[in-house]
Amino acid sequence: MEIFHGVLYGFQVALQPINLLYCFVGVFIGTLVGVLPGLGPAAAIALLLPSTFAASPVSAIIMLAGIYYGAMYGGSTTSILVNIPGEAASVVTCLDGHAMARQGRAGAALGIAAFGSFIAGTLSVVALTFLAPFLARVTLRFGPPEYFALMVLGLTLLTYFARESTVKALMMAAVGLLCGTVGQDTISGRFRFAFGIRTLEDGLGLVPVIMGLFGISEVLLNLEQRQQPKEMFAPPTKGLLPTREDWRASTMPILRGSVLGFFLGILPGAGAIIASFASYAVEKRASRHPERFGAGAIEGVAGPEAANNAAAGGAFIPLLTLGIPANAVMAILLGALMIHGLQPGPLLVKQAPDVFWGIITSMYIGNAMLLVLNLPLIPMWARLLRVPYTVMYPLILLFCLIGAYSVGNNIGDGIVMWVFGIVGYLLKKFDYEGAPLILAMVIGPMMEEALRQSLILSTGSFAIFVSRPISAGFLLVSGFLLLFPMLRRDIEMSRA
Amino acid sequence: MPRDLVSGVFWLAVALFAAAQGLALKLGSLNRPGPGFFPFWGGVVLGLLSIVLVVSSLRRGATGGSPLRPESAKPLVVVGALLGYLLLLETLGFVAVTFSFLLFLFRLERRGWAFSIVSAAAGAFVSYVLFQLWLKTQLPTGPLGF
Repeated sequence: MEIFHGVLYGFQVALQPINLLYCFVGVFIGTLVGVLPGLGPAAAIALLLPSTFAASPVSAIIMLAGIYYGAMYGGSTTSILVNIPGEAASVVTCLDGHAMARQGRAGAALGIAAFGSFIAGTLSVVALTFLAPFLARVTLRFGPPEYFALMVLGLTLLTYFARESTVKALMMAAVGLLCGTVGQDTISGRFRFAFGIRTLEDGLGLVPVIMGLFGISEVLLNLEQRQQPKEMFAPPTKGLLPTREDWRASTMPILRGSVLGFFLGILPGAGAIIASFASYAVEKRASRHPERFGAGAIEGVAGPEAANNAAAGGAFIPLLTLGIPANAVMAILLGALMIHGLQPGPLLVKQAPDVFWGIITSMYIGNAMLLVLNLPLIPMWARLLRVPYTVMYPLILLFCLIGAYSVGNNIGDGIVMWVFGIVGYLLKKFDYEGAPLILAMVIGPMMEEALRQSLILSTGSFAIFVSRPISAGFLLVSGFLLLFPMLRRDIEMSRA
Repeated sequence: MPRDLVSGVFWLAVALFAAAQGLALKLGSLNRPGPGFFPFWGGVVLGLLSIVLVVSSLRRGATGGSPLRPESAKPLVVVGALLGYLLLLETLGFVAVTFSFLLFLFRLERRGWAFSIVSAAAGAFVSYVLFQLWLKTQLPTGPLGF
């Protein structure tokens, strides 16, 4: 009943004209960001965060969330028509989506991607609706030791899902934790790593760091690659509605992708990218004709596109119930909530029910908007893709510069973005990933506070982390996850 | 030289620096951890991981991978342009710096003068209207008042 009331209340909030407008703007920009290669949702949300300062917290978060799941829709368009992923989570869609376009079935691929996204997006919001309030009640009882152990688990999971080496991912997490300590220490008031520089005394801003790591560095890397002429298919104007045959092939992949994506979305570090790859692997294995994959199998579009949208919904669970971000996008949303004076976590549903339920219900509306909007707008997006990168990237850089400056109206944040742009470029060159750094940087201050409070509680004994069952459980799982890759490597080595 | 060795040594230096800073900030006691506690142990963990990376890269020897040397000087030029933008923004004002920045990059990409000037002017004008007038971002003004 509580949930029923909550949803009803949420719709009252989300259906207010101003919030509908913000939702629309969010999903529209999100689709745009998804369509354009080289600008991901994390950088885009960081960019637009300052522009929401004047809005109410609910409207602001509704819009920023819309950008995130909107980008998941948009990414598939570019994958299918140009064979370049518009967004990292749409990489696998290139395989079969573009193959379908080659066979003249671009319409069906775009159609099933949109419908699959809609179904999965909606299913995951339904799951979010029921699971989030329940989890918020459970996590309400968490004390500092449980929080600390949970954040350790989060960081471990993050490195566990790392595509490059585990050691490097752990190093990035450590660097992120150190970055998080820059600025004034909340407990003692001492400045750390500030060196008397004003910008650093306030701590490293999340917005400039993310725009540097994910915006600027991406442009720098793209500049190096020689521009290849793109083979682009004209956007189809009809045949977007999947046929009955298409539906028969796609229904199960969409459902499996939804479930898989939702649960992978909850886990820190897994997210939409891993979800789409996992779904593709599952569908290929489940198929009676795996050889069709890569040659235009509609299941290979339906499953992954469903999975990445479901993951976008699942990612809200840790944010709304624990106040812990599952990925870089959620880290900025966390920052956005805090800038608007809200404390994300188990108390959010009680303290700001309008925000909690407003965000969740706005996602039902946003998903519906995306479905209605997207298919008719595909020709427009396709025209946008014809704009050459040499015209596009100066504008992307300009928006990043303005975005970083406008966070606090000072040049210092711009310099931070510039430095992290170079850092991000070098990290890529040396095969490091930026995601663990960002997450650890956000979690760092919370983790440090939880650790220090726990030690004060226990008068200096680390036993507090293992004597409390929940925190002991989290730490046990983290330990296992850390050791598992090493054990596996040893086994492989002894076999070889 | 193996690239993991290069980056490992770099991070080891960062780790030593962080740990030293942590020590200087005072670690505090276990029942009352001080401001240096987290930076110190963060530095120690990073240092240990860097050593693991360095050792394993030495054992494996040099391995391939994409070349570190950039294929063109473009990223370097763009990095310079970005810094120039940031340093000149508050003295020359948003519109002038933005126009010059866009003009420079379009010319860098060998676009024609006419195209570059018109596009740079349009970019500066539209972003001014969008951010200053509509979103009410307080962009720095130059000697001419915009």
